[in-house]
Amino acid sequence: MSLSSSSTSTHAGKSFLRRYLFSTDHKIIGVQYFFLSLAAALTGALLSLLMRIHLVWPKAALPFLGPMKPEDYLGFLTIHGTVMVFFVLSTLPQSGLGTYFLPLQLGAREMAFPALNMAGFWTTLVSFLVLMAALLAPGGASIAGWTQYAPLSAIATAGPGQGLGTDLWLVSIGLFCLGTMMSAIGFIATTVNRRAPGMRWMRMPLPCWAWFVTAILILLAFSLLLLALVLLLLDRHAGTSFFVPAGLVVSGKAVEHSGGSPLLWQHLFWFFGHPEVYIAILPAMGITSHLLSVFSRKPVFGYKAMVAAILAIGVLGFMVWGHHMFVSGMNPYGGFAFSSLTTAIAVPSAIKVFNWLGTIYGGRIRFSTPMLFSIGFVSLFITGGLTGPLLAQPALDAYLHDTYFVVAHFHLIMGMAGLFAIFAATYFWFPKMFGRMMNERLGALHFWITLAGAYAIFMPMHLLGAAGHPRRYSELTGVQYVATTAPLQVFITVAAVVTVGGQAVFLLNLFWSMYKGPKAGANPWDCSTLEWKDAGFDDRTPTVEHGPYEYSVPGAEKDFVAQDAPGNRIT
Amino acid sequence: MPITGEHVDVERKPKLGGGGPGKIPHRRGFGGGDDGDRDRFHDFHSRKARLHRLRVGMALCIVSVAGVFACLTLVFLLRRQIGPWDPARKTWVSDWGRLTLPYLMLWVNSAALLLSSGTLELARRRMQRQMEFADLGILPFRTQRDFPWLGLTVLLGFGFLGGQLMVWNHFRLQGAFVHTHPSSSFFLIFTGLHAIHLLGGLLALIYAAGGNWMQIRFDSQVLAVEVTAWYWHFMAVLWVAIFALLYFVR
Amino acid sequence: MRVALTIALLFIALGCAWLFVAHPWWFPAGVSAQAAALDHEFKVAFLLLGSLFIAGQIALAFFLLRSRRNGNALYHRGDWRFEIAWTLAIAALFFWFNVSGEKLWSRMMLHQPDADAVQIEVTGAQFQWYFRYSGADGVFGRTDAQKFARPEEGNPLGIDPADPVGHDDIVSAALVLPEDSDVELILRAQDVIHSVFIPAMRFKQDAVPGMSIHAHVRPIATGNYEIACAELCGTGHYRMRAPVRVLSQEQFAAWLNAQEKAKE
Ligand code: HEA
Ligand code: HEA
Ligand code: CUA
Ligand SMILES: [Cu+2]
Repeated sequence: MSLSSSSTSTHAGKSFLRRYLFSTDHKIIGVQYFFLSLAAALTGALLSLLMRIHLVWPKAALPFLGPMKPEDYLGFLTIHGTVMVFFVLSTLPQSGLGTYFLPLQLGAREMAFPALNMAGFWTTLVSFLVLMAALLAPGGASIAGWTQYAPLSAIATAGPGQGLGTDLWLVSIGLFCLGTMMSAIGFIATTVNRRAPGMRWMRMPLPCWAWFVTAILILLAFSLLLLALVLLLLDRHAGTSFFVPAGLVVSGKAVEHSGGSPLLWQHLFWFFGHPEVYIAILPAMGITSHLLSVFSRKPVFGYKAMVAAILAIGVLGFMVWGHHMFVSGMNPYGGFAFSSLTTAIAVPSAIKVFNWLGTIYGGRIRFSTPMLFSIGFVSLFITGGLTGPLLAQPALDAYLHDTYFVVAHFHLIMGMAGLFAIFAATYFWFPKMFGRMMNERLGALHFWITLAGAYAIFMPMHLLGAAGHPRRYSELTGVQYVATTAPLQVFITVAAVVTVGGQAVFLLNLFWSMYKGPKAGANPWDCSTLEWKDAGFDDRTPTVEHGPYEYSVPGAEKDFVAQDAPGNRIT
Repeated sequence: MPITGEHVDVERKPKLGGGGPGKIPHRRGFGGGDDGDRDRFHDFHSRKARLHRLRVGMALCIVSVAGVFACLTLVFLLRRQIGPWDPARKTWVSDWGRLTLPYLMLWVNSAALLLSSGTLELARRRMQRQMEFADLGILPFRTQRDFPWLGLTVLLGFGFLGGQLMVWNHFRLQGAFVHTHPSSSFFLIFTGLHAIHLLGGLLALIYAAGGNWMQIRFDSQVLAVEVTAWYWHFMAVLWVAIFALLYFVR
Repeated sequence: MRVALTIALLFIALGCAWLFVAHPWWFPAGVSAQAAALDHEFKVAFLLLGSLFIAGQIALAFFLLRSRRNGNALYHRGDWRFEIAWTLAIAALFFWFNVSGEKLWSRMMLHQPDADAVQIEVTGAQFQWYFRYSGADGVFGRTDAQKFARPEEGNPLGIDPADPVGHDDIVSAALVLPEDSDVELILRAQDVIHSVFIPAMRFKQDAVPGMSIHAHVRPIATGNYEIACAELCGTGHYRMRAPVRVLSQEQFAAWLNAQEKAKE
């Protein structure tokens, strides 16, 4: 039975619902994830603006909402952080783009468990809706931040939003764990036994490596988070005492619990939380390595070293969680161990930066929009990353912990670098996903706005941190020395408004191109990897002959050698 | 909006990656494996491929479940050390309550679970053999003869859960609830989580055993058993570990 | 585009460098014994990481500028010698930096305060700080917040009336410290986690409910400073401040006496 006939025959039978909505086709699911994350990112950005505005103009009345109260600020803060970390950076680069492109790049016809994959997406969608519902809960969303430190998160009377709002947060993240683990299982199984013939491990494109390792991290980290969430829910509703110590008096009332430990929650959360931040960045790294090579028309510099670095980061990521707890009351000797291990994990990242630079060196660079954003990623990753080893020093972190310096660190490396990788991937794979090209001029404009914005918003925050401005302050009027930083805060807010406004260019470009963009050829970027296998392809799965990054091979007739091009093997 | 992921200039030509949307013939059956399109080179549907795939998936599930329980054990051991801080005597006081386990019940339950693990193994072997015969055309495809062992396993599984319910009830009567003291909460959480996970396996087995009436393809049925068997044995081992833990570290 | 990017990256490198050199907002002057060493370590950190930052951005800019416009790109798959050299170099650099920092940490954390250090119990409660001095007998009275805490009756910490040593304890809303002598702070919290942050003294330590954490600091200049709560503790987190007053030793003694008098 030849495929083409089967396709035309079965195509008719499909209802719209099974074709576009409850489809098990990894491509549809990938696109669904894309729009979910788009909505999430816009929500997060909007919330960040509301926060910024309240921070500098506490009295300002917002349309519909009226003047914001401090608890609104904290509620928005929690949702902003959660949405951005979970539903943007842990969803799109991994579950979203991975679902779409992992099988394509590996030369597999489908994910290993298409149905499980679909279930994963719908679980994630539900968990997102639950999180949004938290915003509407009486008392508003949880005010405990995305880290949900106990006892603040364990006691319903500890503040507005600590009742239903927090329960919804916990349920939502619990569902998210399940959904993400479902797709992760599919990822690993696909990578392990659905690779096309000849696709050896060392011939996998780097995004596949990143997706594979990240999936393993997800499986371990999220299952533990799920456990922690269950325990916290039990503390809240079943009266157990894991995280709540004895003898507390909250808002004038004695608390029954006895014997729990607030540090236990912090250990559990960060044992998940640190791997989580690498879950957020590894796929971005893989994608960037891929794009830098494609648009420099050069092989990746030190492919093996890149793979080794990904693995090293994956392993070390589980041993450094204590660097979030230097001043938490943890035994000071812990500081020594975690500090050294954290410094150790900076080394593989430095290797990656070095190899990215090596990949660009001597390239014949095509400055298309995806490349612009990849370059932005490298720049931002260096900027945000270098504050890491500084924060990794207990003595220095003791001063900077929970100040805006940390906010600057993770927005530059996670927020902005991660987002730049997402944008790069969007511009790069758009032709594959929607069959059309995006507009290059608008793309460039969007790049310049966002790059300027990223540095303008988050660079000054280092100074705020140095001045000792604590995080999670909903107003500047409470502490005298904090009040003196107001002008800088105003500048940041203005920059943020402009930057978010500038995203309109991106949205315009996205939706305009979806319908009106010029039709894309089979392989618009001259890529060597399998997802761009051009149209004339018969119903045979390819046999892979070469490594993924054979660009500018001397003597080859084109400046790239497709992975399944016949002929003598190069790698 | 063409979300077909195909290059528009060559509309209906099939390509790598399962082609466009809706190209996938759908059949009822176990696991995701039945979706996705047939391809004679990389046999997505041959029993071997599906079995291997599902086993990898199952191994991963087992790993993450094991991770959860390992972490819970860690919390358990940690929590035993710490207690509320007594400002008067300036020391930690242990609030670790005594818990008298209903050993008879627990031993019976354990026996039931281990037994079920054995019967499932028998069922698995048996069905596998029938599968081969069926392939050779010696036996008709849909056959009832796999039932006794499989059914027995399901019954034993329910027996175990029932037993656990009795154990929990026993504690309720003792006045030891999940919030009474740490040891009771840990006991209930350990056993509760284990029971929930077991229930999952039980559903899969019911699906397989009921397959004859639910008109699933026989090989899907065998697959279900083949894969669930791993999980089930893991559950038995896990139970032994939990029991030992709660027995020795009280 | 090539040139534009190069210029932009140079601008970023230099602009950020300028931001940190001119630093219109910066660390407050350090007034504790550990501040000097810490500030020095910060200087080292900013120099080391700053130069890596500039090197990185400029390398990026330079390679972009050098992008070939005709002929094929260089066909080069990387080179183990470079990899290893860079890895060793950066690892050495980072670890030297790390060790220097850990030395400082051990000096801060593992050094014991003088035997005659003033003991002050710092208690955080939503959204207020309380500072307890043990009074003449030098012993803190027993507290039980759940039983006796009555902020409105002037017993916010719940000092047990039945405990005689508690009667001379002084509870203040301001942290008053003697100059040039070790102070031992005993950090506690009544409801949720708070964090004592005194930027001028480069001091930060969480106050965790259910624990009493011992820390110490040595002020070296008289004056008025501020505590800001640095751990999210609820809606009032942003205004959970307390004044810190460092007095000369005799002024401090006088202040204590005055408080004693006030109690009788
Ligand atoms: C994508 C997410 C991400 C990534 C990749 C990182 C990367 C790193 N992070 Fe970060 N971090 C976060 C997200 C991330 N972090 C978040 C979200 C928080 C706050 C959580 C919260 O409290 O809410 C945080 C907080 C945080 C803390 C706690 C701060 C505090 O709360 O007190 C610490 C402390 O050690 C730390 C360290 C590091 C280190 C050492 C790295 C290293 O991996 C960095 C490695 C990179 C480099 C070292 C740069 C390499 C470049 C060069 C070496 C230059 C090359 C030069 C030439 C070639 C010439 N991070
Ligand atoms: C991915 C992570 C991410 C991102 C992108 C952002 C983006 C932004 N964040 Fe966020 N932030 C966090 C993660 C992130 N943040 C976290 C984890 C916290 C801590 C929460 C806590 O303390 O508990 C935090 C906290 C935080 C604070 C600290 C508040 C406080 O401590 O008091 C502030 C204050 O200024 C802030 C501001 C901003 C601003 C102005 C942006 C701007 O950059 C917004 C600009 C936004 C964009 C440019 C994105 C636009 C996206 C699109 C247009 C769609 C792209 C998607 C697709 C293509 C599918 N954030
Ligand atoms: Cu107390 Cu923040
Ligand atoms: Cu971390």
